[in-house]
Amino acid sequence: MGDKDGKSSPSKKNKKGKDMDELKKEVPITEHKMSIEECCRKFNTDIVQGLTNAKAAEFLIRDGPNCLTPPPTTPEWIKFCRQLFGGFSILLWTGAILCFLAYAIQAATEDEPAGDNLYLGIVLSVVVVVTGCFSYFQEAKSSKIMESFKNMVPQQALVIREGEKMTINAEEVVAGDLVEVKGGDRIPADLRVVSAHGCKVDNSSLTGESEPQSRSPDCTHDNPLETRNVAFFSTNCVEGTARGIVVCTGDRTVMGRIATLTSGLESGKTPIAKEIEHFIHLITGVAVFLGITFFILAVCLGYTWLEAVIFLIGIIVANVPEGLLATVTVCLTLTAKRMAKKNCLVKNLEAVETLGSTSTICSDKTGTLTQNRMTVAHMWFDNQIHEADTTEDQSGASFDKTSASWAALARVAALCNRAVFKAGQDQLPILKRDTAGDASESALLKCIELSCGSVKQIREKNKKVAEIPFNSTNKYQLSVHETEDPNDNRYLLVMKGAPERILDRCTTIIIQGKEQPMDEEMKESFQNAYMELGGLGERVLGFCHLLMPEDQYPKGFAFDCDDVNFTTESLCFVGLMSMIDPPRAAVPDAVGKCRSAGIKVIMVTGDHPITAKAIAKGVGIISEGNETVEDIASRLNIPVSQVNPRDAKACVIHGTDLKELSQDQMDDILRNHTEIVFARTSPQQKLIIVEGCQRLGAIVAVTGDGVNDSPALKKADIGVAMGISGSDVSKQAADMILLDDNFASIVTGVEEGRLIFDNLKKSIAYTLTSNIPEITPFLLFIIVNIPLPLGTITILCIDLGTDMVPAISLAYEAAESDIMKRQPRNPTRDKLVNERLISIAYGQIGMIQALGGFFSYFVILAENGFLPSILVGIRLNWDDRACNDLEDSYGQQWTYEQRKIVEFTCHTAFFVSIVVVQWADVIVCKTRRNSVFQQGMKNKILIFGLFEETALAAFLSYTPGMDVALRMFPLKPSWWFCAVPYSVLIFVYDEIRKLLIRRNPGGKWLSLSLCITFRPESCHEICICNFTHKSLIDTKTRKLSNASLFSSPTLSSYRLGGKGDILLSDGYRLYSYPYIFHLFLPPFIPSLARHVFRCPTP
Amino acid sequence: MAKDAEKSTWKDFIWNSRTREFCGRTGSSWGLILLFYLVFYIFLAGMFCLTMYVMLQTLDDYKPTWQDRLGTPGMMIRPRGQAMEISYNTTNTETWDMYIKTLDNFLSPYNNSLQAEKNEECTPDQYFIQADSGDVKNNPKRSCQFNRTFLEKCSGLDDHTYGYQAGKPCIIIKLNRVIGMLPGKDGQAPFVTCGAKKEDSDKIGEVEYYPENGTFNLMYYPYYGKKAQVNYSQPLVAIKFLNITLNEDINIECRIISNNIPPGSVRDKFAGKVSFKLRINTKG
Repeated sequence: MGDKDGKSSPSKKNKKGKDMDELKKEVPITEHKMSIEECCRKFNTDIVQGLTNAKAAEFLIRDGPNCLTPPPTTPEWIKFCRQLFGGFSILLWTGAILCFLAYAIQAATEDEPAGDNLYLGIVLSVVVVVTGCFSYFQEAKSSKIMESFKNMVPQQALVIREGEKMTINAEEVVAGDLVEVKGGDRIPADLRVVSAHGCKVDNSSLTGESEPQSRSPDCTHDNPLETRNVAFFSTNCVEGTARGIVVCTGDRTVMGRIATLTSGLESGKTPIAKEIEHFIHLITGVAVFLGITFFILAVCLGYTWLEAVIFLIGIIVANVPEGLLATVTVCLTLTAKRMAKKNCLVKNLEAVETLGSTSTICSDKTGTLTQNRMTVAHMWFDNQIHEADTTEDQSGASFDKTSASWAALARVAALCNRAVFKAGQDQLPILKRDTAGDASESALLKCIELSCGSVKQIREKNKKVAEIPFNSTNKYQLSVHETEDPNDNRYLLVMKGAPERILDRCTTIIIQGKEQPMDEEMKESFQNAYMELGGLGERVLGFCHLLMPEDQYPKGFAFDCDDVNFTTESLCFVGLMSMIDPPRAAVPDAVGKCRSAGIKVIMVTGDHPITAKAIAKGVGIISEGNETVEDIASRLNIPVSQVNPRDAKACVIHGTDLKELSQDQMDDILRNHTEIVFARTSPQQKLIIVEGCQRLGAIVAVTGDGVNDSPALKKADIGVAMGISGSDVSKQAADMILLDDNFASIVTGVEEGRLIFDNLKKSIAYTLTSNIPEITPFLLFIIVNIPLPLGTITILCIDLGTDMVPAISLAYEAAESDIMKRQPRNPTRDKLVNERLISIAYGQIGMIQALGGFFSYFVILAENGFLPSILVGIRLNWDDRACNDLEDSYGQQWTYEQRKIVEFTCHTAFFVSIVVVQWADVIVCKTRRNSVFQQGMKNKILIFGLFEETALAAFLSYTPGMDVALRMFPLKPSWWFCAVPYSVLIFVYDEIRKLLIRRNPGGKWLSLSLCITFRPESCHEICICNFTHKSLIDTKTRKLSNASLFSSPTLSSYRLGGKGDILLSDGYRLYSYPYIFHLFLPPFIPSLARHVFRCPTP
Repeated sequence: MAKDAEKSTWKDFIWNSRTREFCGRTGSSWGLILLFYLVFYIFLAGMFCLTMYVMLQTLDDYKPTWQDRLGTPGMMIRPRGQAMEISYNTTNTETWDMYIKTLDNFLSPYNNSLQAEKNEECTPDQYFIQADSGDVKNNPKRSCQFNRTFLEKCSGLDDHTYGYQAGKPCIIIKLNRVIGMLPGKDGQAPFVTCGAKKEDSDKIGEVEYYPENGTFNLMYYPYYGKKAQVNYSQPLVAIKFLNITLNEDINIECRIISNNIPPGSVRDKFAGKVSFKLRINTKG
């Protein structure tokens, strides 16, 4: 549909493309840099009076209502049609149409046309429609349409027009309106703040910052997303009040642009859809080739043109695997169900496999990799850094809690803290409880509650008498409390705040519970600790206290907090505490698993580079020992510009730098760094990163939870949203939802995806194999004029009956080797169905099966009197209704009906033979490399399938009435065994084939040996030559010298393009990035797996 | 740019001159594949021949393994006509000439001279059983004479047109050969009876049967197969329509009456019966 539109109006498409490019650019808001007056002038508004009603009405007409254009929803019937006519179905429809065409030709030319083609056409149509309905309902069930953007629009807004405050519908807000918001409101449009009182907004859905940001009228940053004086449409005001001028409304707001961008993005075809397309091409190719060949043969043999056309159609249709559509759908559904059980909800059935093909994961940080909850990570007291336990289940390390300094620090942290637990959560573990208060205070609260017991009791014992809340000029917060000791009438002053400010106010420091003067040495060690914790990306707070002298501040002293009448100097420094949003426990392991599965994990976050890098190191996205350019520079003590960027495998890229990069530079970074962190990225940049990866041929998965992730989620090959913390928008844009928000579930997804890809391959190989014994009877019928050995009905009984359950049961097959230890498949090379699979299925196993079927066919005819010798050329008489005395080899004479019964018995026997040879085939298809004896027969569904197909075959053959209903006749018991030798042959043949493959993993007949040489003059040229196993092992022990590499004689050379890799032979794959070559060896030589060769730079 | 690359890869795929590859493989690679398939298929053919050979060894030369589909022998007429429809014009020789030829050809082996030369006269009204004694085959088996003259007016000896010219056509009916079949018990020979279907019953007129009563004499049974009983003469019954209504389609059904032959299946219109359409035109 979209294509058609595009063709008919190219200008429209161009315009659309331009719009999308425009949307991908950064937010064009500039008002934050203007003064308030300039702003007012720009919008013809007044800072006190607001707009006039007339102006507002005029603007409303000019700009339209302040609401988001809902994303164009596809009507249900189009979705249904997509299921009905998409991908595989089109093959079956073509088959059905050809059948009807053939029947029409027959009906027009023959008196009594055989109904076969008509029935086949009908059955094909029914199969498509039924499967289409099935997958439609399956998807409708998992993807409920959430019109979430609509829900995000605030209902009411308080505006000032002509000096009057009025509450209007948020849709009527126009640019230039003066708007007031207070805590709890949703921001009605993008606002330039003109005045604010303790206003904080929650921007997490837009930028990924986990904590509320304060708003004020001052411009603090050039970037509109970071400056303090802009509040964004549909974010929440958490506390305080603010007044602002509306600068953008509706789709022009930052959120609106993201929404438009997201809904405008076309996500490409899923990898499995591409594979199925490729498969259809192959099958169609084979079908048309066979059809044309036999059409020509038929014409040469003297058939009429019409007959030949009917044969042509018949052969093409016979190649259509009728049951495969249903099999694939069921297999995918089963996997989707299995994944849902493991907390991966798949919205689009085809996306089930995508994670398995994924080669790059772009993960958001906040909420995906981290817990999205500030937690105390480190403390510094007694001149020592102590590590706090940040794990979700408190399984981490603990620290020495006996020190008196810790007691003092804990007391300060507990008292100088306004956060409280919300009521009624006593049963919950402390970390799970909800708190009221800001993120860092809550972190402190939980930390103290965990290590020292009830904070509430501490506070009760130390009654608060005065308090100065945090503000941005002081950068500290203090409170004054009574002491625990009722006899002690002194007051306790506790203070926390920015460490350097706190240190400035201190003259002493507590060490091991004793006050000591703050000397230079102490100050330096404080600085070191502060730098170190800051370097970990943690937010550091300093704590100090003072027991106020009783003579100056006697009991009942009136502390005045507005006009401070007490000392806030010469305090006693207690310690530092630092907080971070810690990584989820399961993430490092999951990242490691992705790594070993050859998946590149990139972090893309809106957060600060230092925090991002710290988390990246924490979870292993930047692995131990890998350095960024900056790290190398600081280690070697040289300027960053002198470091060769090729030496650094890791890199951290800031959003502002990303803006400056050209496409080539971007590709270069993505290609040459294995460990990348993007920090401070905007939603548009996330999208650009995803597109960059896709340009390099990667299949990209994006995980995220915020609105800011949604364009990237949509663009990615598979978008993974978080089920609990994720915004509705992100869930809607995603293809998969992690119900437990656990990044580790992605590993499950990858595993299941890879498994289903392997197993689909097996299912398809199994199903395709029986195509040959189904087609060859018809071909021989045409060419050598024998009675038809297998009829349409029996073919359908195989494809839609006996083959179904075994084919589906292969979806339950366990993996052959550790699928998480191999590289992701290369979409250009590792196809679902390739020539090799067709060659084995059609050319080898299929042929054996056909012989098995023909053997039982000949047995039955011979035992009934028609020896093979008289069968050739008998067809014309055989199918002549008027010939009722056809003579057999023994001289007996047969009526038409009598010999037809024998023929149908042959069909039944052929059918049963296919079932018998398919026994062996399903066992053979279980594994692609391992022997069945290694793999075992643990797949219970498969065993059930074997019995089921046999029982079904017996049922079809022996049930009374089947002779009339399906023209199938009872078989003599001995006829069941005709195909058994062929069944055994299939098994033995394939076991030998697999044995050879295992022995010669390279797929060569001779003992395999490979080596790689690099031509120094061009890194794009690599040579493959012989070398022995021994030198491979040498490579492993790093003893293989360059000399031996280069001196080997070359066999053949391949020129490589900029991307992709080349397949040396079966399991050996050579990745070619211009400067680094990876040689991946198959998993059964684990000790040799994965080596990275670096090409000498030219 | 991307398109160019694609084009060149497509061309490269067919014939890559640099690596000398055709469809992604070198000549030697293709050669190996062809060799493999050649060897593989030769092996398969060998295996198939072996199993076929073993199967053929299990067969009896004289009698098929199964005869259960031939419980009710089929019946057939000569001439067969066009899809069991015999229609001709008495005034137009060409329309019935082919029937005459068919019958002449069909009956020529039954010439008395030939029969006398090859076959012997048997005792009528009893089965001509030539049992084997154990493993020793009593071969070749002899056959009984069925002389053309048994068909009397329909023998074509006196009336060379078999009555076709006169509008009193002869139709020859035969019972399909089935090895070992004994078509009647208690010495009662099976016989053919013909009648018209429902509405045509008054149009069929008088019908004459040759040999008398339209019986198949028991001495022609059992049949021992074409290998053992080379000169077997299948017994025939001729019917002659003496005054059939002309210029009209008449549906006629002949069936075998026997106390031993089970009625055939409903679907099989030729088991133990034969139906055909007869139309004799007289006007030009």
